[in-house]
Amino acid sequence: MKTIIKTIRENIFTPWGLWLAILGLFLFSALIAGIAVFWKGLVITNLTDLVPWGLWITIDLSAIALAAGAFSMCAIVYLFGLKRYEPLARTATFIGFTGYSMAMMALLLDIGRPDRFWKSFVFWNTHSLLWEVTMCVLLYFTVLLLEVMPIFASFDWLRNKYPKLAAKMEHMHHYAPVLAIFGLALSSLHQSSLGAVYGVIKARPIWYRPEMSVLFMFTAILGGVSLTLLASMLAARLTSKARINDMLIERVSQVLGYMMIGYLYWRFWDWLAQTYTYEPGRTEAFEILTKGQLSFNFWFGEMLFGALLPTIILLYKPLRQAPLWRMLAFAMIVGGVVAFRFDTNIVGFLAVIPYIPGDMAVQYTTYTPSFVEWAAGLGIIAFGLLAFSVGAKYLRIVDHRLVSEEHEPVMVKAGEVVAGD
Amino acid sequence: MTQNKFNRRDFIKLSAVGLAAAAGARLIEEVQASGAEKGKHQWAMVINQSKCTGCEQCSLACNANNDINPAMRWNKVLKDGTVKGNQVYVPRPCMQCENAPCVEVCPVGASYYRDDGIVMMDYEKCIGCRYCQVACPYDARVFNWESFEGENPYVPEWGDPEVERRPRGVPEKCSFCYQRIDRGLELGLVPGEDPAATPVCVVACPTGARIFGDLNDPNSKVSQALRENPSYRLRENLGTKPRVYYLPVKDNVITEG
Repeated sequence: MKTIIKTIRENIFTPWGLWLAILGLFLFSALIAGIAVFWKGLVITNLTDLVPWGLWITIDLSAIALAAGAFSMCAIVYLFGLKRYEPLARTATFIGFTGYSMAMMALLLDIGRPDRFWKSFVFWNTHSLLWEVTMCVLLYFTVLLLEVMPIFASFDWLRNKYPKLAAKMEHMHHYAPVLAIFGLALSSLHQSSLGAVYGVIKARPIWYRPEMSVLFMFTAILGGVSLTLLASMLAARLTSKARINDMLIERVSQVLGYMMIGYLYWRFWDWLAQTYTYEPGRTEAFEILTKGQLSFNFWFGEMLFGALLPTIILLYKPLRQAPLWRMLAFAMIVGGVVAFRFDTNIVGFLAVIPYIPGDMAVQYTTYTPSFVEWAAGLGIIAFGLLAFSVGAKYLRIVDHRLVSEEHEPVMVKAGEVVAGD
Repeated sequence: MTQNKFNRRDFIKLSAVGLAAAAGARLIEEVQASGAEKGKHQWAMVINQSKCTGCEQCSLACNANNDINPAMRWNKVLKDGTVKGNQVYVPRPCMQCENAPCVEVCPVGASYYRDDGIVMMDYEKCIGCRYCQVACPYDARVFNWESFEGENPYVPEWGDPEVERRPRGVPEKCSFCYQRIDRGLELGLVPGEDPAATPVCVVACPTGARIFGDLNDPNSKVSQALRENPSYRLRENLGTKPRVYYLPVKDNVITEG
């Protein structure tokens, strides 16, 4: 006990100690909030029958989206054979594992009967998109668990204490290509059908459009890869334990820039199509998004800072090559994805669709998360930050020296003979 | 390259097979899922808006018989514009849709069809995700944000509870008083004719604005009413095919003022 107190006293005023203390504070308040929710029920949230999905669902959607770097990078490295990006896949896998853990925490809080969460695995309605998402998330979490095993195997304490176990966990790395196939298949399924969860709801016309699944998939890859790169660069600046190869990151970010153009193209047509003709409920909801209470989120969060500016930064070479500008671009993309998920979820509820034939005026409702929702939500985010910080410090999740060979294509003049194997 | 256990081509093949299998399974399921199985009876409700005075006695009887939290309503009575200066009402129970969005979206199958058309809730199976509430076009579902403790203020004045109270954390909705229908049929009664076998809102209505019966029986009150009168259903354009029909107010029925 004395030694623990001594260690705390010695370390609390270091940046690392302070960081842990702040995260600990958030985690503690989230613990209290979580207990309160399980004790009192969802009545202590600001959710209503008109707005049954709120902040926690946004965190769930965002955490899953931002975890998509894992399947994207693993597919690039193990399926498309771009081996030099392997260290990025390592970072992405760890972030993915953390992200899905966060999503599950948010869901456990959000469902009315957390004691029955297991029923979602046992009872199947294969017609439901949420069933499909549940199954994919469960299976993909298993895949991620296997994928992070080699990472956990690099924990020094484990290596020293249980060398055999560590070696077994390390061995999982041999299955990386197989796992990448499963990861890609499962992620392609549930990342897009998470959008379709909204896209098939005919009762709420603002959601009822086929773009939803495409946009969810698109934003997941963009946000997931951006977060992986941002976290890598941040870690390298904050701790000597993390080492990055800036050239790798710069290359990926250029590709990301081109993908952003594709995203803007989709968003533009998606946006334009919705400005035509009046449809009760949809038009009002769209106005909330573009002119009403969500307009700041929409124009600045999703569009200007979330898509347009980062695209310019990532495609304009001098800016892209400046690490700070590049990090800013990644952060803005991540913010844009979160804003997109938040707006998409909430806008479907704020305009209450009429069903009374003699009174077709659209009613409006509001939603502001309660203190408990914020406390628990911020705690989940703090968990994610803590997991990444500890990972970067002790598990070498950001270490671009792990692959020493560079598989650069060799440029050969015509007629020249290349000595090789 | 040949030593590679999984090369690109294998991956593409595997994905293609996987996708084809998934699509095929989905198609088969889609064909099977079109419409629920239909049994001997097809219960339906017809609400005559000319007769509804908006007194809400249907709601009170519903809350008592189904033991609902007084802050919640399975059956809402909503205002629906005016005809010749008279307020018109839309009483709104669950529509018991033939293509119910809530049944389609429920991940665990806690919402399901009975073969007599009633859309049921299995309150033991439900995990409380509220997707059904999000999907319902009629706002017919109410969630138990907190548990309903203590006495029901509408009991016994408006009736006695016939079903178990739902726990905290699940959404609930109107069930066409399936308990009354089932018990009535067992006793040889005819739902829609005998009050004891008929949904309590129909029985409680002082003006007889609601009628109930079997669409499969051409002589039932609902079949007759729908044959003889123009009727409509709510948000018919969605294709949900509700089993609650409305007879709109006729101009000559309501007198001015």
